[in-house]
Amino acid sequence: MALDVLQAAPTAAETKKGLGVRQLFNRHFNLLIGTMSVGGTLLLWQYARALGIPGLAFVDPPTAIIAASADLLQSATFWTACYKRFIRISIGFVLAQLIGIPLGLLMAANRFAFNTVFPITEILRPVPPVAWIPIAIIFWPTREMSTIFIVFLGAFWIVLLNTIGGASTIDPAYRRAALSLGSSRWHLFRYIIFPATLPSIVTGMVVGMGICWEMVVAAEMIAGDTGLGYLLWQSFEINATAQVIVCMIAIGIAGFASSALISRLARLLTPWIAER
Amino acid sequence: MKGAVSIRGAVKVYDPERSQVVALDGLDLDIAPGEFCAVVGPSGCGKTTLLNAIAGFDTLTSGSITLDGQTIAEPDRSAPPGADRIVVFQNGALFPWRSVLWNVTCGPVMQKRMGRAEATERASALLARVGMQGSDDKYPGELSGGQRRRVEIVRALMNDPSVLLLDEPFRALDALTKSVMQEYLTELLVEVPKTVFFITHDLEEAIFLGDKVVALTSRPGRIRQVVPVSLEKPRRHTVLTSPEFLAIKATLSGAIHEEARRAFVYGERELA
Repeated sequence: MALDVLQAAPTAAETKKGLGVRQLFNRHFNLLIGTMSVGGTLLLWQYARALGIPGLAFVDPPTAIIAASADLLQSATFWTACYKRFIRISIGFVLAQLIGIPLGLLMAANRFAFNTVFPITEILRPVPPVAWIPIAIIFWPTREMSTIFIVFLGAFWIVLLNTIGGASTIDPAYRRAALSLGSSRWHLFRYIIFPATLPSIVTGMVVGMGICWEMVVAAEMIAGDTGLGYLLWQSFEINATAQVIVCMIAIGIAGFASSALISRLARLLTPWIAER
Repeated sequence: MKGAVSIRGAVKVYDPERSQVVALDGLDLDIAPGEFCAVVGPSGCGKTTLLNAIAGFDTLTSGSITLDGQTIAEPDRSAPPGADRIVVFQNGALFPWRSVLWNVTCGPVMQKRMGRAEATERASALLARVGMQGSDDKYPGELSGGQRRRVEIVRALMNDPSVLLLDEPFRALDALTKSVMQEYLTELLVEVPKTVFFITHDLEEAIFLGDKVVALTSRPGRIRQVVPVSLEKPRRHTVLTSPEFLAIKATLSGAIHEEARRAFVYGERELA
């Protein structure tokens, strides 16, 4: 306590000079820490073999990875894999929204629809999408469709549950207010139920996108014949560890980019929610 | 002028099969067109039940309510909620996902009573009347509590209701904001005269705003006392210390306090 007071009261000259440096330091502190942590990890990794760190010692060091990535980044295989991945995620994710959101809204609005669909979803939902892979291969005529189906399942349940949850917990005062303002059923849906559910839908999208990324890797490893997951597994089988790691980093970066995109979309869809 | 409300023998029993909570027990009340009827009573005395029955959100177990001669509530049947009986809710129900202007104009536009341009013009005039000009494009979440209440009352008035139902609209506001809001409401009603059914826990507020103050008994809700307030309108806050005001307050406060004590003994929440 006493120390705080002493530190909080520097002389005027000190304040002027000291604050400049300190402010600069404070502003970039997080960036500095971040850089140091990534750099430190890379250093440890580079000298893992010399330092005898278990696990990491058996993996190619970062310098080898950089060399391998230079090769891989120039190959058409890599970029085709990235493209395939992008297409699969996009189609699977969008399909999950197109089916999950209307179905969720219908189930929240209509008791009969809820009682019909809910038992089925409750039994199927706990089955992890990975366990669906064999059936997905049998179900669909092409491997491509099977992969998309798995991605779709990854996002579907969470979108459905979030939509039902959001739509059935709307403050009844909004409904009442809308009715006394002369809303028709359509108005009620268009202006109240749908926008009131949007924040939950958006949450479903964010979480669903994350699951899509997990699913696509698994699906590509098993059911796919191209894609980053497939490339990763192939690289492992031919013992190209550096290439495996490049694929992992590529997946990480793409996943990060997609969450950034989704949160941008979230802000567009729900502009009334103040940024936190 | 329209807006004559007549309540006859209103009874509401919740859960008639088992616990049988009697919220209203044979309540008669008449509100004249353009009259400001302030209802006070302890929590759980059936004030909101009565308001919900008028609004069409709930039904009566027996008795009836008419609005300008039309029956709007009879046993187990209520006219659906509509723009002739607009409610301003206790916790506010502005749609947070839409702008202030949209909120205020949506009623007449959805009812196809006005075009968007006409509604916007009327809304701007009323919003300016309560010092809310320049907030058209804001979201309700960007406004203070007092500002939101003003917007909400303007939204209600935009629908030209026969009766305005206000359920403790100023409850969540601090004392100073509350007194400013009371004056705004008074001014708005000079501009747009309406029959008002106003629920409150605050006796001073009831007397300041009301043409008559209705004190209800603690559960089950019956009429304990009806006191006309003949103070000249529009009133200013200086009236709060006038001898006439204090005399009315003295008449009512004994009864209100007694009911609050009974409600407290029943295990109800105390007078807020």
